[in-house]
Amino acid sequence: MTDIALIVNGENKTVSVPPETTLLKMLRENLNYTGSKLGCDVGDCGACTVLVDGLAVNACLILAAQAEGKEVLTIEGLSTLEKYHPIQKAFEDVAALQCGFCGPGMIMATKALIDQDQDLTKQEIKDALSGNLCRCTGYTKIIEGVVDAYQEITGKKIPATKPRVA
Amino acid sequence: MIRRGKGVGCMWYPIGFTVAANPSAATVKVNEDGTATLLTGTVETGQGSLTVLAQIAAEELGVSTDDIHVVSADTDTTPMDTGAIASRTTYVTGNAIKLAAENAKKILFEVAAPLLDVQPNQLEAVDRKIQVQYFPQRCLPIADVALQAQFVMGRPPIGSASYNPPTVGMDPETGQGKPFSTYVYATQCAEVEVDDETGEVDVIYMSAAHDCGTAINPMLVEGQIEGGISMGIGFALQEEMLFDDKGRQLNPNLTNYIMPTSLDMPEIDVDIVENFDPTGPFGAKGVGEPTAVPTAAAICNAIFDAVGVRITSLPATAEKVLRAIKEKNNSEQKFIPAAE
Ligand code: FES
Ligand code: FES
Repeated sequence: MTDIALIVNGENKTVSVPPETTLLKMLRENLNYTGSKLGCDVGDCGACTVLVDGLAVNACLILAAQAEGKEVLTIEGLSTLEKYHPIQKAFEDVAALQCGFCGPGMIMATKALIDQDQDLTKQEIKDALSGNLCRCTGYTKIIEGVVDAYQEITGKKIPATKPRVA
Repeated sequence: MIRRGKGVGCMWYPIGFTVAANPSAATVKVNEDGTATLLTGTVETGQGSLTVLAQIAAEELGVSTDDIHVVSADTDTTPMDTGAIASRTTYVTGNAIKLAAENAKKILFEVAAPLLDVQPNQLEAVDRKIQVQYFPQRCLPIADVALQAQFVMGRPPIGSASYNPPTVGMDPETGQGKPFSTYVYATQCAEVEVDDETGEVDVIYMSAAHDCGTAINPMLVEGQIEGGISMGIGFALQEEMLFDDKGRQLNPNLTNYIMPTSLDMPEIDVDIVENFDPTGPFGAKGVGEPTAVPTAAAICNAIFDAVGVRITSLPATAEKVLRAIKEKNNSEQKFIPAAE
């Protein structure tokens, strides 16, 4: 067993797990943060995306021990009971998600992207989310939601593409 | 060289099969605070069906969608439903819910009628009120009527109903019959870029026009169509289950079973072609599976338009397209006979 001390969603935690435990497994099974989803466990789907010191990582691909002393943010740490995070609000407003399984990962990847505080184009948003698979939505409304959230949070504008047919 | 092409795919799709029993049942009870509880056996899989079904119940009862509390998918307690399959939920389950809400409303009307000095058939339910048709100022809040019904008249306003699309058996001689209750239609157009040196296909634009009867929730219809297009693109260009000769899947994971990512998605324009179907709840039919049907056809037609080759087995991978282009080029090569 290894003892790991880290900060999860702003709270200090110490967890004792076998050394081969992934961060995802520890979050879900030891700390009960089941918001991050286990889709593939090998880094293909992005459903497990969390922020470690502000960077988006696939929690299934790093060991819990690698998060020692770091700050981890999961979807549970994003909103309070009273208030959605602006990304969640934007996703809700455009009906971005369907089954929602990809949602926590998508939203955390979006947060990491927007937090970088760069000027973004729609293509760059698509690029940044290409590691997060979604089987239901065709990504269209998800990208719409990310654009809205980006505009809301940063005050910048991404020009809308004009529909070709009326 | 990158070549562009455009293609069209059309389809029809049946909603509400009738060759076997295909029932849905529902219960709607109006509570004494004017809200209502809807019990349905159907399963929400993310398509938004519970929202649509709550909208149907709310419309029938004249309340807001927020007033409907949906209890679903518990075989112990909810009425039987054939399932979230065959693009049937809005149509079949929706019809059952509309009928159940109608039955609950009938009790409300019978209780309200003497209080408003009219016949039940002169009443309507709108804006959380039971009111006299053409005399909206003569009204009672639904909550008051429900309370009256339960505690004074002893007739709790509750309705149950089931719907099974009417069956017309197939004639064994002619094969004629009515296998499905209604049909939806759609056309999708694809614009692609094909690299004729690598065979790689890039879908750059799709437009989709779908008839789904009345679109009860247009935003969800759009989401369904966009999702269906992404599945269609995967079907057309990327996704393939590969098996070895013992029947074991060779690509049982997302590393080599390639499905579309955000980068594979083109710009999409969705056009909902509204059309009232008299047999559906408030004219609705359905939209689920049809959205993925014409996509691959449209893309393959666009590939033909771009480089003149017909891909007849899916997925149209770069290898297949390039092979077809080479075969075509070879067969078109003109042999100039040597001079004698
Ligand atoms: S579960 Fe981590 S990438 Fe799929
Ligand atoms: S909403 Fe179902 S996987 Fe994205």
